[in-house]
Amino acid sequence: MTTEKKAEKKPEYIKVEIARPRAYKWSSGKYLGKLYKEALENRKLVTNRCPKCKQLLWPPAGVCGRCNVEAGEDWVVMSGEGTVLQYTYLVFPLWDPHYGDRLANPYPTATIKLDDGVFLVHFLEEKDPEKLKNVKRVQAVWKEEGRGRGLGDILYFRTIDE
Amino acid sequence: MGNRVAIVGIGQTYHKSNRKDVTQPEMVAEAVRAALTDAQMKPKDVEAVFTSNMETFEGMYLPDHMMVDEVGAFMKPGLKVNTGGTTGASVVEEGFHFVASGLFDTALVIGFEKQDCGDTTAAITAAVTPVWGKGVATGAIGEFAKQALTYMQKTGAKEEHAAMIRLKADKGACKNPYAHLKLGLKSIEEVLNSGYLVWPLRLLDFCPQSVGACALILASEHKAKKITKKPVWIADVVTVHQEPFRAGSFGDPTGTEEYSQDIAAERLYKRNGITNPTKDICMAEIYEPSNWEEMSHYEHYHFCEKNEGWKMVEKGITEMEGAFPVNPSGGVIATNPIGATPTIRVAEAALQVRGDAGEHQVTRDVHTAMATALGGPNWTVVTLLKRSL
Repeated sequence: MTTEKKAEKKPEYIKVEIARPRAYKWSSGKYLGKLYKEALENRKLVTNRCPKCKQLLWPPAGVCGRCNVEAGEDWVVMSGEGTVLQYTYLVFPLWDPHYGDRLANPYPTATIKLDDGVFLVHFLEEKDPEKLKNVKRVQAVWKEEGRGRGLGDILYFRTIDE
Repeated sequence: MGNRVAIVGIGQTYHKSNRKDVTQPEMVAEAVRAALTDAQMKPKDVEAVFTSNMETFEGMYLPDHMMVDEVGAFMKPGLKVNTGGTTGASVVEEGFHFVASGLFDTALVIGFEKQDCGDTTAAITAAVTPVWGKGVATGAIGEFAKQALTYMQKTGAKEEHAAMIRLKADKGACKNPYAHLKLGLKSIEEVLNSGYLVWPLRLLDFCPQSVGACALILASEHKAKKITKKPVWIADVVTVHQEPFRAGSFGDPTGTEEYSQDIAAERLYKRNGITNPTKDICMAEIYEPSNWEEMSHYEHYHFCEKNEGWKMVEKGITEMEGAFPVNPSGGVIATNPIGATPTIRVAEAALQVRGDAGEHQVTRDVHTAMATALGGPNWTVVTLLKRSL
């Protein structure tokens, strides 16, 4: 097996910098397209239902993987309210590797169970670590600008006082 | 079952955060040379070469084509495999299947990653469907942070228990010549004083980004007995794939979904007549990106009852001298060259079976060992090794 060897004379090792921006164009398809359209135009969260087991598919999809049947067009408008199951926040800032933005702390994200029964991961408005401990019920707040990004049209989830 | 297959050669590189002195193929060649030396074989003795890493982590598609010469694969058959985090175990399974089928008598399997060339978090985040969920993902660490929180809330485990695991790992790493982080930690307070990265994970609660490679040589029964006096038999490999949990990538906060770890372990134990895992198996090398994850895995691999993983830590059962040692190598939290990480789990478990682990050889006699791999999302590969079949 190998161990690290120290070179007698320091050789010239070079790191070749390759800064290569990449552009992609992903297709939403019919089902996710509907989610994008409803979010953009009507500020509504929609998904479709399996005709056989009647469960909500999430994200909206063309097939129900559990029943192996074609899902179809039984669309449901969801409430946009839910309960926080898990959350975390950045203590140390990160970089968004795709857009190059700095993800400044605390950048709280949570796994949220919507009242309709589906789960999503999204941002929380609450940024105080102590108050985050008690965040339970939340509701979607829609963005005013930079829309057209599906779930990204939701700015964050705001605490509902109950 | 097919023909019997043994591990006859084991090689790994040392691990660091950064290696400017080698290219990726040159680094991989170090592990290959070490495995060939261990088996006392020459490149011409290897019939087929199988490689694996996290494709595109270094920004390159088909990285195997540039290392054909360095790994001795010129004009030989072979495949490149990528199954996410489990890939380094999948490549062992791939070699195992080919040799067990009788198609080849010898196969070289390699896991590698040179993370200093790329951006791992960017690559992991790119596993998120761009038209879905993009922008919220913060790589692997955010997912494991949320899981740590759920584990704490569900089981009553304290940060002290996670710190004990970190101490145990460091103790092993300091004795392992190939480990990356060797911190010389003295007390759990040192762990508890390290700053939070992504709450509730501290700097010392999470694995590093390592650069390194691991190679194994597999051989059929008649070849293996000619090559070495100490073959380590691959008794079984079980892979279970599952879609991501509906509510998370690696963990289920709802407590309602089935874990691929449970299913893989149950299948492995049933097929191999294992009724009491920590008695019938002598030690395990598991894939734990964080110390919290290790406690959770104890439960999912049925090393203890549900919600009691932290008690195993408290009792010292999984220490190097304990009744069921886990990760005496220092584990993933000390060394994580992602594509090589599961190959290292198999390699380290095999070294324990051979009795060749050196300073981190466990006290208990190891006739049977288990290696696990976690990948993504929510995929599991478990490998069972034996001294004799």
